[in-house]
Amino acid sequence: MNNRKFKFLSILFTLAVMLLAACSGNNNSAEPETGTKADEETKDAGVVNLYTSRHYETDDALFEQFTEETGIKVNVVKGEEDELMERLTREGEATEADVFYTADAGRLHWAKEKGLLQSIESETLEANVPENYRDIDNEWFGLTKRARVIVYAKDRVTPEDLSTYEALTEEQWKGKVLIRSSENIYNQSLVASFISLNGADAAKEWAQGIVNNMARDPEGGDRDQAKAIAAGEGDVAVMNTYYFGQMLNSEDAEEVKVAEQLGVFFPNQETNGTHVNVSGAGVTKHAKNKENAIKFLEFLSSEEAQGQFSEANYEYPVNPNVEPSELLASWGDFKAQDLNMSELGKYNADALKLMNEVEWK
Amino acid sequence: MKAIRFFRLHLNVWSIMSIIFTLLIISPTLSIFIQIFEKPNENWYHIQEFLLKNYIQNTLVIVFFTGFFSVMIGVSLAWLVTAYRFPLRNFFKWGLILPLAIPPYIGAYTYHGILNYTGVVQATLRNQFDIKANHAYFDIMNIPGAIFIFTIFLYPYVYIITRAYLEQQSASLVENARLLGSGPVQLFFRVIMPISRTAIVGGVSLVVLEVLNDYGVVSYFGIQVFTTAIFQAWFGMSDVASAIKLAGILMAIVFAILFLEKVLRGRKKYSYSNAKVRPLEPISLSREKTAVLFVYTALIFTIGFVIPFVQLFQWMLLTFEKVASEEFLTLIFNSVYVSLIAASLIMVIALVIGNFTRLSDGAWAKAVSRITVLGYSIPGAVIAIGVLTFFLWIDRQLKGVYHAMGIEAPIILSLSIIMLLFAYVSRFLAIGFNPIDSGFDKIGRSFTEASRLLGIPLTRTFFKVDLPMIRGAVFGGFTLAFIEVMKELPLTLLLQPFNFYTLATKAFQYANDERIYEAALASMLIILISGVSIFIFHKVLEKENR
Repeated sequence: MNNRKFKFLSILFTLAVMLLAACSGNNNSAEPETGTKADEETKDAGVVNLYTSRHYETDDALFEQFTEETGIKVNVVKGEEDELMERLTREGEATEADVFYTADAGRLHWAKEKGLLQSIESETLEANVPENYRDIDNEWFGLTKRARVIVYAKDRVTPEDLSTYEALTEEQWKGKVLIRSSENIYNQSLVASFISLNGADAAKEWAQGIVNNMARDPEGGDRDQAKAIAAGEGDVAVMNTYYFGQMLNSEDAEEVKVAEQLGVFFPNQETNGTHVNVSGAGVTKHAKNKENAIKFLEFLSSEEAQGQFSEANYEYPVNPNVEPSELLASWGDFKAQDLNMSELGKYNADALKLMNEVEWK
Repeated sequence: MKAIRFFRLHLNVWSIMSIIFTLLIISPTLSIFIQIFEKPNENWYHIQEFLLKNYIQNTLVIVFFTGFFSVMIGVSLAWLVTAYRFPLRNFFKWGLILPLAIPPYIGAYTYHGILNYTGVVQATLRNQFDIKANHAYFDIMNIPGAIFIFTIFLYPYVYIITRAYLEQQSASLVENARLLGSGPVQLFFRVIMPISRTAIVGGVSLVVLEVLNDYGVVSYFGIQVFTTAIFQAWFGMSDVASAIKLAGILMAIVFAILFLEKVLRGRKKYSYSNAKVRPLEPISLSREKTAVLFVYTALIFTIGFVIPFVQLFQWMLLTFEKVASEEFLTLIFNSVYVSLIAASLIMVIALVIGNFTRLSDGAWAKAVSRITVLGYSIPGAVIAIGVLTFFLWIDRQLKGVYHAMGIEAPIILSLSIIMLLFAYVSRFLAIGFNPIDSGFDKIGRSFTEASRLLGIPLTRTFFKVDLPMIRGAVFGGFTLAFIEVMKELPLTLLLQPFNFYTLATKAFQYANDERIYEAALASMLIILISGVSIFIFHKVLEKENR
């Protein structure tokens, strides 16, 4: 019996030791972040601490390259954009994060509105990132673009049948339009862009028209919309170029087959342009490593990094000096919405509400 | 005088520890609860008008049917495995728990991957047989599909707890019923179901809570449920206050139901007061009946484990060279490490609180035990905010201490793994607590009382008498908690320290980006490690019973 008690206590003890090890282990890794070690090793160029909602190997490779070139270590927390923003908000002045990096302009705008970011001065960034893809006050900078295009069944639809997003609400597309749910952030920013360009009433009318023409209740992700075309459930889908690139290069031969049956169409070329959204980043208000953070952003906007976004991750570069990759170029040049990206954040909540009102599931 | 007696009777190391643990655990939840009373803003009216009605309806439908089917499958399997002999019975005993190793959202991705247009089923029909079947037949991205996914990956909760109960509890009742001429169907519905009520409720409440807090499956399928409203408020309208308010309401409802159940069950006790527990001896059936039995069991096992496993394995091979790296060693280590620590902490706390509730008669002790499951009823991301707020507060209080220690950084704890471990414990306590609770329920108080009468102190009685008797439940709870932490995603995503990744977050990084093939390797590792822990649990239990 004493033996048993001894066992129990020893388990407790081991636990306590493991716990202690866990915290001391973490303290070690936390130290360089606080900069205490920087004095000991003069060669250490310090760190930059990053909160990101992008989860791509391309990004990881770029971070490594940045460390190699500058000696600055990149510490990363990968999460979901809104959750990371909440974490930043609650951490307030105490935060260790220097850069907030996310895949939606609307979120960047919100981060600015919530006072999470700060204005920075960098000639490099201003040269590399065109004006409409960055914040007016330079609190955040777009780094890559994605176009939300119309994808169509090559055997049933010709590009001549297509013209604008608005045209998808016409009678001829009844029961043929595929698009995912209103919960999806890319759809929210699409509708937000319409509110900004055409006004709330027109945007609501458009959403209603899309709901009326849907081939089925929205389900699945962007890729699932493409597959539903191949399956014959509908003829046209609204989806991101990024996912289409992914499908064309998929390991699964069936997915490639599906993508090959489809064509990419950039809508609204004659009118106000195709909807684009950006991934971007900003320096946090209470950044402890501001200089490193700026260097980091400058690196990501450089021609070298921009090329990789395009080659390996099927995203359009924002840097005008960088040509899109061969695949992206093969879909053709296009005119994008002439819109400051902040507008997307400004109208995001309104967009969601009006989609709820027209019962866009 | 009375007060002094009260304290002398009730104040001991168990009650004090119980109160401390409970306070710690509810502190993050409490901050969410309080939000119910916040004034509603304009978004709130929008949510009420356009979202809640349909969403609540969908939620109720999914919860009801998932609960119903889980009980049917879980209890029937538990009964068949306990009472009858059939081929591979020993394997199925633990094999039927394996679907629990697959996180439901991974299961959802996998089944959709199998059934969609480019999936193996339709592709084979199309390419080999030239059949172009209606795409809609294979569509599982709807409410019935979600019920299917939840049921098939969560029924083991009911199975595992019910089986443990039946194995030890039912022998005399079953034999009497048989002697009195009960047929098997009558026996199942009139004896097995009623006597396993505590166990079933324990199991099914875990299933229901898990369905309620899920966001992965429903958002992928595009089904709108209560959690959708929470995340629409948060992600779509950037209105965290409304999101937390919604979560608070959900929690209040769940608490009310659980509390009611405990009150309704009242003082009915199903514990044995016989020192010799005789396990039920399985009997043999006719050949036809055995075959039916085997097919049913094998079918559930195949759907719940074999099919998704094989599919994930194939995807893993497809992407192995692209995805695999040394990083996975770290991921495995991280996952196992945090799961082990968290599960151990959970069991210690569950034992303390469980023992305390059992020995107290007061209603408030029962309330304490119900509070422990609160954290499990709402989405992890919301709990995570509560935990984060709590730890940032502690960090602020400790500022002076940090300064004295020569640490300049303002936040230490809330950037450390301790915060994450705390979050795991407060969320999954219910998982470890339920088996303990029903374990204690089973042995009752008579042995403890006898020991106390013989003059042995409370704590010594616990180690000498109580703990050995519920060892099986402790291992069971540990294993469940271990698997849950292993699979955990939302808490880890929000509370992870810098550069800290687990297998679950790795799988998410791909799956979130619709790259389910690349997610297969991490998913497979989660399933394998959880599977091994289930196997070990089974072996330990077998040794115990011998």
